[in-house]
Amino acid sequence: MTQRPLASLSPTDAAPRATETSAARLSALRARLVTQAMEVIPRKHLSFGVHAVDGCLPGGGLGLGHLHEIAPEAEGDEPAALGFALALVARRLAEVPGEALLVLAKGHPMPYGHGLAGLGLDPDRLLLFEAGNDLDAYRALEEALRTGTGTSSGGLAAVAGLVDAGLPLIQSRRLHLAGGRTDRLLLVLRPVGADSPNVAATRWRIAAGKALRDRFGCIERPCWRVRLARCRNGRMGDWLLEWDHAAHRFGLAGALAGHPPETGGRGTGPGQP
Amino acid sequence: MASGEATGLRLVAVDVRARALGLCPGEPLARARARLSTPLAVHPFDPEADAAALERLCLWAKRYGPGVAAFGAAEGRDGLFLDIAGSSHLFGGEAGLVADLARRLAANGLPARIAVAGSPGCAFALARHGAGGLVAPGGEAEALSGLPTIALRIEAAMAADLGRLGLRRIGDLAEAPRAPLARRFGETLIRRLDQALGHRPEPLVALDEALVFSAARGFLDPIGHQAAIVATTKRLLAEIAPRLEAAGLGARGLRLTLHRIDGVVRTLALGLSEPTRCPVQVGRLLDLRLDRLGPALDAGFGFETVRLDIVRTAPIAHRQVTLAGDDGTGAGASGLADALRQRLGRGLLRLTPHQSHVPERAETAEPWRVNDVVARRPVRGRPRPLVLLTRGETAEDMLAPDGPPQLFRWRRRLHRITHADGPERIAGEWWSGPAPTRDYYVVEDEAGRRLWVYRQDPPPAESPPPERAARVAPVIGWFVHGMFA
Repeated sequence: MTQRPLASLSPTDAAPRATETSAARLSALRARLVTQAMEVIPRKHLSFGVHAVDGCLPGGGLGLGHLHEIAPEAEGDEPAALGFALALVARRLAEVPGEALLVLAKGHPMPYGHGLAGLGLDPDRLLLFEAGNDLDAYRALEEALRTGTGTSSGGLAAVAGLVDAGLPLIQSRRLHLAGGRTDRLLLVLRPVGADSPNVAATRWRIAAGKALRDRFGCIERPCWRVRLARCRNGRMGDWLLEWDHAAHRFGLAGALAGHPPETGGRGTGPGQP
Repeated sequence: MASGEATGLRLVAVDVRARALGLCPGEPLARARARLSTPLAVHPFDPEADAAALERLCLWAKRYGPGVAAFGAAEGRDGLFLDIAGSSHLFGGEAGLVADLARRLAANGLPARIAVAGSPGCAFALARHGAGGLVAPGGEAEALSGLPTIALRIEAAMAADLGRLGLRRIGDLAEAPRAPLARRFGETLIRRLDQALGHRPEPLVALDEALVFSAARGFLDPIGHQAAIVATTKRLLAEIAPRLEAAGLGARGLRLTLHRIDGVVRTLALGLSEPTRCPVQVGRLLDLRLDRLGPALDAGFGFETVRLDIVRTAPIAHRQVTLAGDDGTGAGASGLADALRQRLGRGLLRLTPHQSHVPERAETAEPWRVNDVVARRPVRGRPRPLVLLTRGETAEDMLAPDGPPQLFRWRRRLHRITHADGPERIAGEWWSGPAPTRDYYVVEDEAGRRLWVYRQDPPPAESPPPERAARVAPVIGWFVHGMFA
C-alpha cells in the first residue's frame, strides 16, 4: 500500500492535502480489495477434464495450494472416498513430475500398492507417513507444504491427509496458510459424520456408484456419485463420475451408457452390451 | 575382479595379463567372456578387504618415513603417498629409495608404478597416468604438461566437460586463463591444478591421524534460548564444513552435546537421509527437534558449552551450482523425511512389493531410504483392491448356491450382490505348510460398493503330510479380503 503516514505532513500544506489523502486512501483500499480477491482465486488449477464439474469451480478446477475436504456420503462409502482422493492425486501426478505424500492418521488402513496401480497411481511415487493421531497428521501435512518450496524440481506434487476426526477450523486455517504459497494439491479426507466449520475451499461428498462394465459384462472402471457440497466462489453440484485409470481422466457417466439395466440379476449374462 | 550392479557383473580391476588381452575396467563381464575364448579367473570385488590390505601396506611403508597417507576418495583408494623429505638419504638418495621400494614390492608380488615429485598432486599424476619416475625440483609443470586432465584428481564428468572445450592436457589447462575456468568449473579445478604444480601446499593426512570432525564453543554468559542454540550449531558446522569438504565427505549423523552450567549434559542426535555440509539445513532440523522437545530439554540456568560432533560421514558428490540459487535445505523427499523425523519422530514409508502371489504377502510398507532400489511390480491383469484387509474377515449368512455369492452379511451390513466377476483361483504356498486354495470374486452390491471376497477350500488331500494337516486345520468358508474404490 502506498499510503503516506499522516505524521509526515507539515501543518502548512495539511488543508489542501486532506481531500487528496482521502482519495488516495480510497484507491488504496480498492486496490487492496482487488488483491484480496486475487488471493481467493488461486493461480493454478487441477481440472477434472469434465466441463460440467470444472464449470462449477472458480478458475475451472481444484485450486492448487488450497484446502479441499473430501468425505464419504454415508457409512460404507469410505473406499469410494479414498479412491476419489487418490484418483485426484493420480491425475496431478500425471501432469507434473514429483511425488505425492499420503499422511495416515490412526484408524486408516494402508492402501494396497497393487490396487493403487490399478487406479492409475504409481505406488513408487507415493510416500506414506503414519501419524499417531490427528494432531501429528496435521503437523506432518504442514511440514510437507513447507518443505522444499524453494526448488521447483523433484518436489512434492500432491499432499493428502486421512484424518480420524473432522477437520477443525484452526487446523484448516493453518493448512490454508501453509498451502497458499505452494502449487501442491492439498486434500484432507475425513470420516463420515464429523462435519465441522472450516475454511476448505471445496467440500466433496463421495458415494459409491455402479461400476462401468466392459463389453463382456465385467467391471471395468470405478464410478462414484460425487457431490460438491460447498464451493467458495463457485456453485454446488452433483454428478456421477467415472475414472479412467489408463488416461488419468474423469468422465461423466452417461445416461445408462455402459451401465446394465437394474434387473437385480448378477449381470454376468453374455447378452450384456 | 568384477562387481555386481543392476545391469549385471562388470569388471572393476584387471591384472597385467588381462590387460594384454584387451580387457579394461568397466566392461561387462558377459561381453568380455563372449569376446575372448580364454577362460577368465574372476574374483568378486570386495572394497572392505581392499581397504584393509591398503592399510597394511601403508603400515609397512612406514619403514621409509613416518609420513604415509593412503589414497583417499579423490585418488581412487588404490595407492599411497610417501613423504620422503629428509629420509631419502638413508637409502642412497631418491633413486636408491625408489629402486629399493620397487624391489621389495615386486618381491611381494605387487606391481607398482612409483613417481617422485615436489608435490603430491604431481607425483600422483605421474604414477597413475604417466610413466612414473623422478621429477627434478621445479620440473613439475613440464612433467605434467602432456598428461590428461583427469590426472589432476578431478571428477570424470568435469574432465569430460574440459575435453569438450578442447582442454585435454594439463599443459592446455595451465596456459588457459584462470578466471573463466574458476567461474565455470568452480574453485576445485584451480585448487587441484595449483596443488599439482606446487603453487599451493597440500597437507597430507598421515595414517595415524584419524579424521575427527568436531567443534566446540564455550560461553562466558550461558545460553538458554532455542534461537541461540540453533545459531551456535550453525556456526560450529560452518567451522567444520571446510574440513569435511577437503575430505570429500558430508555429515549423515551429528551429535550435539550441551553442557549445562550445573554439570548436567544433554545430548541430541540428528540423522540425515543424505550427506550434507549445509549449516542452514542442519539448523532447520535442529530447530524442529527443539520444537518437539520443548521444555523436555530443560535448559535450567543455561548451557555454557556447545559441542558438535560428526558421528557418521558419507562421501558427497560434487554438484554444479545452479543459477537459480539452491537454498540447500534438502529438496524433495529427503528433506521432508528428515524434517518429519526430527519433528514427529517417525520416518516416511514406501510400499514395497515382494515376490509372492499370495495377496497379503505381496507387499509391505518399508522405511523410505534415499535412492532406494524399488523392486519391479508384476504387471497384473487381474484386479486388486484399493484396501487389503490384513486377514480375511468372515462373511456371515452367505448365500451362494451356484458359485458366486449372492447375499452375505459383513461388518453388520447386509450386502445384496448384483454382480460378481470371477472366480480367480489363488493357490496357497504349499511349500510352507498346508495351504488352502482360495477362489476370489469381485462383487458389487446394490449400492455400488465393490468388495473382494473369497471362498477358502481345504488343500488337496494328498499334498500335506497327514500329521501336519491334523495340527493346523485350515478354515473353510467365505471371507471378505478387500475393498475396491
